[in-house]
Amino acid sequence: MSPWLAIAQREWRATFASPLAWTVLAAISALGAWLLLLGIESYVALAPRYADRPDGPGVTDLVVAPMLANLAALMVFVVPLLTMRAIVGERRDGTLPLLFAAGASGSQIAFGKFVGALGVPLVLLAILLAMPLSLAVGTDLDLGKVAAGALGLLLLTCALTALGVLCSAYAQHPASAALAAMAAGLIGWIADAAARERGITEGLLNWLALPTHLTAFMRGVVASVDVVYFMLLVVLCLGLAAMRLARLRELG
Amino acid sequence: MPNEVLIHASGVARRHAAHLVVHDLALDVPAGMALGLLGINGAGKSTLLRMLAGVLAPDAGRITIAGVDLHEEPRAARRLIGWLPERAPLYPELNVVEVLTFAARLRGLARGAAQQAVARAIERCDLGEVRQRLCANLSRGFAQRVGLAQAIVHEPPVLLLDEPTAGLDPLQAQRFHGLLAELKPGRAIVLSSHQLAEVQASCDSAAILHAGTLDAPLAVGDGAALRARFMARVLDRAA
Repeated sequence: MSPWLAIAQREWRATFASPLAWTVLAAISALGAWLLLLGIESYVALAPRYADRPDGPGVTDLVVAPMLANLAALMVFVVPLLTMRAIVGERRDGTLPLLFAAGASGSQIAFGKFVGALGVPLVLLAILLAMPLSLAVGTDLDLGKVAAGALGLLLLTCALTALGVLCSAYAQHPASAALAAMAAGLIGWIADAAARERGITEGLLNWLALPTHLTAFMRGVVASVDVVYFMLLVVLCLGLAAMRLARLRELG
Repeated sequence: MPNEVLIHASGVARRHAAHLVVHDLALDVPAGMALGLLGINGAGKSTLLRMLAGVLAPDAGRITIAGVDLHEEPRAARRLIGWLPERAPLYPELNVVEVLTFAARLRGLARGAAQQAVARAIERCDLGEVRQRLCANLSRGFAQRVGLAQAIVHEPPVLLLDEPTAGLDPLQAQRFHGLLAELKPGRAIVLSSHQLAEVQASCDSAAILHAGTLDAPLAVGDGAALRARFMARVLDRAA
């Protein structure tokens, strides 16, 4: 068995053994259900206005897409709580040298932590996506649009998880890892809006911002540039985390 | 025919900031020998063991484990090493079987082989009664035994133990020494301690780490000479 897989399995178990994971699952599921009900309520109010327009927005546009967009913003704050202990926890428990002694490299540890830390967010996504999909029982959903939105949310979650692992590699305390990951995610989230506020609409900041690449998914468009953007974020964060781990090994 | 040298170190040096912790250190430990590494606190025992375990890279020098160069083939060399740091590396949320299974799989053992290895380590370290207990709830004595079990779960020919009986009561320490005696055949063991009595109880020979260098090992049977040399080093450091 490759060391990263053993590390991922242990991380998965450790996360699900923590009360925090179950609290987050319960709280965000409840919030997701509430957002769905709000969306349905507003759809019921708005639907008559579009009833006579054949190209008017349907339940997917008025209920599902806004719900997924709101959940995406929520992930910026939720994922860091689930990743904060990933590496700094090992350092505090004195178990990181065990991984080094067993021959695991920095990149194997970082990747294993990333895969393991994705466990709870993936379960959360599955629960949250089941909610709008349940509408298919009573209405016609645009499943292509829902799938695109789900893919966007999944890629964003992967990027935020990798960012959380990176912050955990540099932090001295889990809380500071969570705060750093939230701050970085928030900056990534508002960068586009902040740039637009200054009249910049096509600058680097606009391009780097998370919503710039998420919006197209929510509209049902899967562009390869957006997929590559999120994948690059994952690779960059995990690469930096692996470098930090290699440095920690050198420092002893 | 002399036993094969399982641990070989030559010219090993390591700095911490401006301080030279270990310099030009040479060491050979053959199979079947338990070497006690004596030194007062801060002498560099843990640093040396971490370098031998491949957890800390030396600034200079060469270390081989059963002929495998730790720098050139780190993964292969580390598979030959079992290392118990001063604080047993245990995951509080896992039980004993889980933590040993993780250690086995981390070292590349397949599921079936890992299960067998864990059962063997549990039996050898007498951990049957706590096998389902969470590591967070283990006493210090059991925690050290689980730490030793994770170090030997992959049957390494080299064992590195950093102050393994620190914090154990005399009975627990005695049991630990008995366990080491059982593990010694065919293995090279290096055990660090700042207590002469512990090294005498569990090792064949002892070397004193002093001011970053290692004295030539002395047989622990020659207790008077060992004590005299150790006290001279301690007093030298105090002066």
